[in-house]
Amino acid sequence: MADKNEVLRLLELAHQARRDLCKLCGMYSGNIHMGGDMSMIDVLTCLFHRTMQVGPDLVQVPERDRFILSKGHGAACMYIIMAQKGFFDYQEICDTYGNVGSKFGQHPCKTRLPMLDVSTGSLGHGLPLSVGMAASSRQKGRRNRVFCMMGDGETCEGSVWEAAMSGHALKLGNLVAIVDRNKQLMTSFSEDSIRMEPYADKWRAFGWNVIEIEDGNNMAQIVEAFDRLPGSNTEIPTVVIANTVKGKNVSFMEQQIKWHAGSLNEADLATALKDIDEAFEKQKEGL
Amino acid sequence: MKQSYTLDEYNSARSVVGDAITELGGKDERVWLLTPDIGFGCKDFQTKYPNRFIDTGIAEQDVVGISAGLAYDGNIPFIIGMMPFMSMRALEQVRTDVCYPNLPVRIIANYAGLTGNGGSTHYAMEDMALYSSLVNMTVCAASDPVQLRQIIEKSLNYIGPLSIRIDPGKENRVLYPADTVFEIGKGYLARDGKDITIIACGEMVNYALQLHDLAKDAGISVRVIDMFTVKPLDKEIVLKAAEETGRLVVWEDHLMKNGLASAVADVLCDNGVQLKSFKRFGIPQVYPGFGSAEELYHLYKYDLDAVWAYVKSLF
Repeated sequence: MADKNEVLRLLELAHQARRDLCKLCGMYSGNIHMGGDMSMIDVLTCLFHRTMQVGPDLVQVPERDRFILSKGHGAACMYIIMAQKGFFDYQEICDTYGNVGSKFGQHPCKTRLPMLDVSTGSLGHGLPLSVGMAASSRQKGRRNRVFCMMGDGETCEGSVWEAAMSGHALKLGNLVAIVDRNKQLMTSFSEDSIRMEPYADKWRAFGWNVIEIEDGNNMAQIVEAFDRLPGSNTEIPTVVIANTVKGKNVSFMEQQIKWHAGSLNEADLATALKDIDEAFEKQKEGL
Repeated sequence: MKQSYTLDEYNSARSVVGDAITELGGKDERVWLLTPDIGFGCKDFQTKYPNRFIDTGIAEQDVVGISAGLAYDGNIPFIIGMMPFMSMRALEQVRTDVCYPNLPVRIIANYAGLTGNGGSTHYAMEDMALYSSLVNMTVCAASDPVQLRQIIEKSLNYIGPLSIRIDPGKENRVLYPADTVFEIGKGYLARDGKDITIIACGEMVNYALQLHDLAKDAGISVRVIDMFTVKPLDKEIVLKAAEETGRLVVWEDHLMKNGLASAVADVLCDNGVQLKSFKRFGIPQVYPGFGSAEELYHLYKYDLDAVWAYVKSLF
């Protein structure tokens, strides 16, 4: 069982990240990919604040863990959690997001933000990149891990499965793929359109170690899952399948196709923040 | 086949590629070799440096993504592939994962143009157009073993992504003395001449040199420029040739639109150059069928006979 105080610490960080994300969405005139941001935000919180050996002081350290946001449209969520970690200034994100010359745009750009491990945005590209990074770390004798966050819809891309084969063939136990299994694509529910189930079996068939999180928005379950990653010196790559809810904790966003991406007016922002606070209180009670 | 870098003897581009990369791999720990199941020239490297060799199986998107991941971590990955698939199947990975972050990935791919008798699925007719469109990409078309080896050696410390197209690579005539110096980004003045200039790349250079000799016997002075770097194009050598000879022929084993001829035409147009004549030879807008390269060059009217007939008609 995960330590209760640690879970509470992470819950508070995830709660703050949700609030900060909604506020950013309220300030920005364009759309932000709120649905997928809110589904993966709890996992991302655990990764950056507990699981991964990363930080602004480690950017030049070869032994640091690597993070590849293969679902690059979740950049806003990542920026905010990285700001909590001290990589960025939250206010700068709010002041400049999506502007000409800004470092912070819809998809992560390493040219503008050198502390990122990669530039991403086009779906299905992250896992091959991660395989390359993991192979390089292996060859150099490092003990770090490479974490690759994908959306479940993204795994429709064939390149994901090419890399799944390579990760297995190269025996990359230092490679951890995470699937934000929110069961929605941009325009459909996955089981209505492309019928992904039995999903975990697909990864097992490719030879991967599968860790499923029944509720990928439950921090205790998330912590417990990532705490049992096999050692980075093992020979089988791991996929963590987090069953999540798109738009999690905002009543009018949850499982709504129209909330793949959007912007918040003042009234909606107030409702969103109220929903988030209420959900947080319930989560605390449930500990 | 006997490996030779002696003028007018033959070598195989495949072994040149393998030897050059293996040698670089011995000198520099950053060098990796990857292949999507093409594998020519890989054996020595794989044996000597198994921890820096990856065969992805038939997966071009994957091999490019993995190479980008390696390059992000300070490595210099060489990919040996087949050009139709490296340039089309993996185009987005090359653009977004390699060129956008300007990573030092090197793509060496064979079956350029109508070589190999594979039919339209296996002809790289568009690769120079596609790769030339990519910001940061350097596009090379090697014409002989000496040049190919030198491009590979010089690519080690070259900034950004670089591609080299070669023919099937089984039998390649040595066109240049072993001590010839080639500079990536500069056209090579293979033969001087004053009446007309042929700008060629890759396979076609061999024929252009033969044409030079035919013309010389007929009293026509033909300049031959081996434009082995198609992008960035050497503007100075084009403008100088235009000014000094007034007539240009561009000859390539590629669609004659959007390849080398179009790049040369851009330079001429952008500089307001008026010529006495400009003619392009290459693949027309067709999906070619089967046949040897020579038969197809003849069929599509860009073989030595066709170009020589054109040049003769001008004088």
